[in-house]
Amino acid sequence: MDKRIAAAETMERAAPKIAEEPQILSGRARSLNLQVTPAVILLIAILGALVLPPVYLLIKTSFYTTAADGSFGVFTFEYYEALFSSKTLMGDLLNSLMFAAGSALFALILGAGQAWIVERTDTPLRQYIFLISIISLGLPHVLYTSAWLLTLGKSGPFNGLLMWASGADSVVFDVYTMTGMIIIEGMIWTPLAFLLLSSTFRNFDSSFEEAALMSGAGTAATFRRITLPLALPAVLALLLLVFIRAFEAFDIPALVGGAGDVTVLTTEVYNSIRKELPANYGQAGAFSTVLMLAVILLLVLQKSLLSHADRFQTITGKGFRPRVISLGPWRYLTSSILVLLFVVLLVVPLGMIIIVSLAPYYDGVNLALFQRASLANYAIIADSPSLRQAVLNTIILGVASATFVCALTAGGAWLAARKAKGAWIIDQLATVPLIFPAIVLSVAFLQLFLNSPILLYGTLTSLVIAATMQYLPYGMRFNFAGALQIHRELEEAAAAAGASRASIFLRIVLPLLLPTIITSWLFVLLLSVRAVALPILLAGPNSQVVAVVLFDLWGNGQVSEMAAFGVVWSIFMMCIGGVLYYLSRRNGVSVH
Amino acid sequence: MLRKISLCAAAGLWLAFVGAAVAADIAQLAKMTGPDRERILHDGARKEGKVVLYSAMIENQALRPIKAAFTAKYPFLEVEFWRADTRDLINKTLAEVRSRSVVVDVVEGGGVSQSLIRAGVAQEFSLPGAAALPRAFVDPMWVATRVSYFGPAINTRMVSDDEAPKNYQDLLDPKWKGKIAWAANTETGGAMMFISFIRSWLGEQKGEEYLTQLAKQDIANLSGSPREVVNKLIAGEYPLALNIFLHHPLISAQKGAPVAPLLLDPVLGNASVMVLLKNAPRPHAALLLMDYLVSEEGQKVIRDADYFPANPSVAVEASVASIIPANSNKTLKFISEEDLFADRAKSIVLQKNLFQRR
Repeated sequence: MDKRIAAAETMERAAPKIAEEPQILSGRARSLNLQVTPAVILLIAILGALVLPPVYLLIKTSFYTTAADGSFGVFTFEYYEALFSSKTLMGDLLNSLMFAAGSALFALILGAGQAWIVERTDTPLRQYIFLISIISLGLPHVLYTSAWLLTLGKSGPFNGLLMWASGADSVVFDVYTMTGMIIIEGMIWTPLAFLLLSSTFRNFDSSFEEAALMSGAGTAATFRRITLPLALPAVLALLLLVFIRAFEAFDIPALVGGAGDVTVLTTEVYNSIRKELPANYGQAGAFSTVLMLAVILLLVLQKSLLSHADRFQTITGKGFRPRVISLGPWRYLTSSILVLLFVVLLVVPLGMIIIVSLAPYYDGVNLALFQRASLANYAIIADSPSLRQAVLNTIILGVASATFVCALTAGGAWLAARKAKGAWIIDQLATVPLIFPAIVLSVAFLQLFLNSPILLYGTLTSLVIAATMQYLPYGMRFNFAGALQIHRELEEAAAAAGASRASIFLRIVLPLLLPTIITSWLFVLLLSVRAVALPILLAGPNSQVVAVVLFDLWGNGQVSEMAAFGVVWSIFMMCIGGVLYYLSRRNGVSVH
Repeated sequence: MLRKISLCAAAGLWLAFVGAAVAADIAQLAKMTGPDRERILHDGARKEGKVVLYSAMIENQALRPIKAAFTAKYPFLEVEFWRADTRDLINKTLAEVRSRSVVVDVVEGGGVSQSLIRAGVAQEFSLPGAAALPRAFVDPMWVATRVSYFGPAINTRMVSDDEAPKNYQDLLDPKWKGKIAWAANTETGGAMMFISFIRSWLGEQKGEEYLTQLAKQDIANLSGSPREVVNKLIAGEYPLALNIFLHHPLISAQKGAPVAPLLLDPVLGNASVMVLLKNAPRPHAALLLMDYLVSEEGQKVIRDADYFPANPSVAVEASVASIIPANSNKTLKFISEEDLFADRAKSIVLQKNLFQRR
């Protein structure tokens, strides 16, 4: 078999698990014969110290005025009054919901179409889509978004094409609108939607479909009446996942909506702190609290919806191979759809960024742009110590936060899986961060560090602490699933032979759990180096990270340099991703 | 428990003591005059090893050349800078002071002084070199570094000279509806400053009438810096931009970009200033940098970056001289740091009510 196909399939087997939203796990208070041990108490103490103070400070912030020097003033309800008495809140909430719903639908349609073509038809070239999807997952959102803003902007090639085709003399499509936001956010989630749904489509027990076909239903009717209803739970889960992610998203609304006067809840939080003078921490706190409550509601909804999903069990014990539909000549059409999607989702934005990175200034795509092309921007970024520092900071941030998350959750997840006394508290604490959209967590930690007796504000350490908390749920989710797979008879044998609990964990569980730990480590690393919303309020001049630098370069109007830096960083990330991918494959890592 | 509290108290006292000692040191240092000054600053800066500047000057245009020139003169000093708009500069600085982790030594930008003074974080200082500056450019708490002129700019591919607005009344022409952009969240350049300028030029009542008319143009509120607004203009996203730094389009036009500044009468001007932090971690190096920035040598670097030096003895670059109002028979409407701050509250309310749809 082609090595690439095998590689893609391994990745894709892991991908659905990677993509799954960690759930708020229910309490497991029932303990077995285990006592509360120092390890449990220690973990509870560390997690409690990490998780609870930001929550407290966030809520406090929303109830106190800010003094001239930025410290807490007097108790007040004014921020909530302001919030609920103006139309802003309702407008923002509506925008947030519309944005989230639109993005989810957009990603679903493109992702499902791709997944169906790849999994269930004999379309040529289909195997390459996996690789492409995985590559595009690694691109920084800021870069991807600015690429699309340049492409779809008023002077971009897209509008040029539309104006030429329609004969209009003014701009046809305005990207700085809700529509623009939805399209870009939707495209960002498309690869994930594809990866998730393709595994669903593949795992169908196709005997249902075969029965329908044999009973005389055509391909279309079979799709409508059998395939579609069977896929419903997966589709629903995906919709909700993207919905919640888009609801919490900050980068795209800030870059697109910020320039077009479309505000959502997350951008209000940011604007209150970064765009007002003095920074309005109270208002940011009130917006954040509302946002947090909304996310809690959504997570509860998600949990209750997904708990009914077992009514549609599509994987059965019977041996099967999914039916591949032979499309005949139509397969060239589906093939060109795939090529088109590839071009739109990856070639166009990357091409745009590369073109802009070669230009001294950007005045639309035209021939003169190519005549002016030079590597000057690359020379500038190669020469910049602050950018080198940002790259180094980003790598430290990624490695450190991934390591801490794994260290804290590996043992905790095992204790929780074994229902050790008190371990349910570890479990609950580690899932608390799920209720924070990243920008809200950023506000919470900002307040924490501003008021901390230890000097942390603006340091790289502070970024690592915040990122560790943010990604705790992911580590917990991965390692809990991993620990459940390890049968306890191994541990019981060790215990019977007189091993202590610590030695059982270190000598039996840890080696068995290692593949899971490595996968979660890689996952947290990739997430934390890409994030903008968390570091944006926390990073100081000495702790800049790549994603924030890209965001600021765009906002400061250094578009060409941003493009050059983005190209270099993306290539670097793809190489790292490739190496990690190779290593994880060689070590046989996959999450089952 | 009691022991813990007393330990904490002792630590607190010690911190307060050290803090006071530092404050006394920097106050003396900042006002020092006499022949020893240069040597003391040198020796101190050599130990400090670097200096951190937060500035609103555009990185690739000005900050990098300044850093290069300054480190060439003082090879033992490393210069770190962070570029942001004024609001960010102030908020970041205040956050650092509040969390007692001050990174910055000197803050530079238009409109930075008053907020920092009111928050009690600015240090009084005097620079021997400031004597060469006009009196209006020197204050016990700040010294001007450069002058900026503000006005509209056009994309020359989209707007011909004939079509371009000739006066402020022309900006109300319905043909510009939906075609104008400005920076919505900045202190200097952008919406708030423009509103303050109109109020102070036309008076409150006429000013508000004018602004109400202008609001009908549906001006695009961009979230980036005024420099980014000029980039959008160059990219052809908008044909007309309001209240940008007039030298920015000229700098781009020199590279061939299709953009030009417009001088309407009167031309708005202000001076960007620098402020020394009370808790500056590297006061010696900070003062050396400030000395350098107002010196003829430093002012020439600013001039060579096509900015307007605050020191009148340094002649402006010929390529941007046309922007100086007197050179093209225009009146200068100068807004001081104090006025900018005094007018901001009301201008922000007007901006919210008139120009922010929703």
